[in-house]
Amino acid sequence: MSLESKYNLKSPGVKRLMREAIELANPTEEYYACPLEDNLFEWHFTVRGPPGSDFENGYYHGRILLPSQYPMQPPNIILLTPNGRFEVNKKICLSISGHHPESWQPSWSIRTALLALIAFMPTPAAGTIGSLDYTPEERQILAKKSKNWVCSTCGRISEKLSTGQEGPELTKEESSLIKQIALKAEEDANKKEPQRNVEASGEERQSNETGEVRRRIVDGETEGVSSNDAGVRENLNQSNSKDTLWKIVMWLIIAMISFLVTRRLFFL
Amino acid sequence: MAEQGENMNKSDSTSEPNQDELILAQQRQIEKEISDSIPLVGDKELITSLNNEYSADNIYLEKVRDLATKYKFIRRTRPDGNCFFRAFSYANIERLLGKPDEFEAFYKVAENSKDGLVKLGFQQLTVDDFYDTYMEVLKRLKNIENLSEAYKELHSVFNEQGFSDYMVVYLRLLTSGQLQKEHDFYSCFIEGDRTVADFCHQEVEPMYKESDHIHIIAACAALQTGVKVIYMDRGIGKACTEHDLPEGTSPTVHLLYRPGHYDILYQ
Repeated sequence: MSLESKYNLKSPGVKRLMREAIELANPTEEYYACPLEDNLFEWHFTVRGPPGSDFENGYYHGRILLPSQYPMQPPNIILLTPNGRFEVNKKICLSISGHHPESWQPSWSIRTALLALIAFMPTPAAGTIGSLDYTPEERQILAKKSKNWVCSTCGRISEKLSTGQEGPELTKEESSLIKQIALKAEEDANKKEPQRNVEASGEERQSNETGEVRRRIVDGETEGVSSNDAGVRENLNQSNSKDTLWKIVMWLIIAMISFLVTRRLFFL
Repeated sequence: MAEQGENMNKSDSTSEPNQDELILAQQRQIEKEISDSIPLVGDKELITSLNNEYSADNIYLEKVRDLATKYKFIRRTRPDGNCFFRAFSYANIERLLGKPDEFEAFYKVAENSKDGLVKLGFQQLTVDDFYDTYMEVLKRLKNIENLSEAYKELHSVFNEQGFSDYMVVYLRLLTSGQLQKEHDFYSCFIEGDRTVADFCHQEVEPMYKESDHIHIIAACAALQTGVKVIYMDRGIGKACTEHDLPEGTSPTVHLLYRPGHYDILYQ
């Protein structure tokens, strides 16, 4: 491996990354990650959208940037595939990512970060930096599209994960840790929701929320949605309306054919 | 500070999206200044060098005078939140150099420490990683026959960020392991409704988290080594307060505590 001649193998941080690279070398059903050929401190990863969520059947690709002080400092995760939950090309805000270095623990690993990312995807965005509040429909469309997404370094990402190869079983510590991360976000969202409940009934609240989202899209940059993602969303809306147009045309053709068939049968 | 940034973001995330990063950048700047000016573990200095820090403070000067009757030297550590773990680890290994039997006994304790951690549910991969480096350092030091060479090697290992931090992490893990193993006993000392495991995840395992009494007692138990802590603050009295931890043991490591920081003392 060319990496081995490039880095000081005696350095504990380098040793650690080599160890993690070996552990993650075989793709599992849920995640796969490996260092770039020429840089041990940048990895690319693919995760599968968690089943039973809007991201089901989606493939999400991204970069992991490791600080020179890894594992004392947390890895940064940057998603590249449009997903509707996190902005792309931006360091995202898990409680174990670089925005909250005080909660990172050196005994966690890249694998922990990926599992936490998967577990965290279906949690409410709750206005956190780097989070997006797309509707379930929009997220599902993006999930469908992600199958054809190609990384300029790694190629077609849907081929990166294995089928039927399960990862090593989670230890008790790991699974409770991953749940903890998901819980934290829910706690935050819950804190806000009861206040709204007082003012508005369930339905009204929902329309309030979507209104908020729209406003955020309109305000674009200032609301923390990068132009990049606004573009994705515009595309999405366009393709959405394209879909409906096709549906109408299809129904028209079907109606026409059945009309012709009935006419043929009854009026010969 | 980072916590403060987080709060500000919750309330004001939309108009000031970079506030969090600005605060973090400033924090990094401060950390960099500290790391540029203070070594991870410094050289042995005369205890009277403390006078320079308090030239205009009579309460402290009085206490330094008292301290000087009991201790001759001080070795300063970098105030990065890891100072207790780094100082304890360093002083503990230092006292073993030149005493092959005691070193061997400690080596055995360290050698058998990993399985307990894995049983508690820590990730095998990362525990292996820290353990291997920890044992590698111990083995290297154990095998140096020339005593002054050994002291030199210890000092250089602990000033190499990568190795030094690995020594800290492993001691943090052992401390966490000890707390969780004896959670019935330690839960009495934890304030709030946190479980011992929560406390470990939030206050013991993350780097740069400062140590309290409870950390010290657990770390001592994990390494089977007693510590004497000399408390020096602006409190009443001319003498510093002393504590042997855990109580009733004869301490082999001596640390000086000033609010928020630990250094190593030598008689």
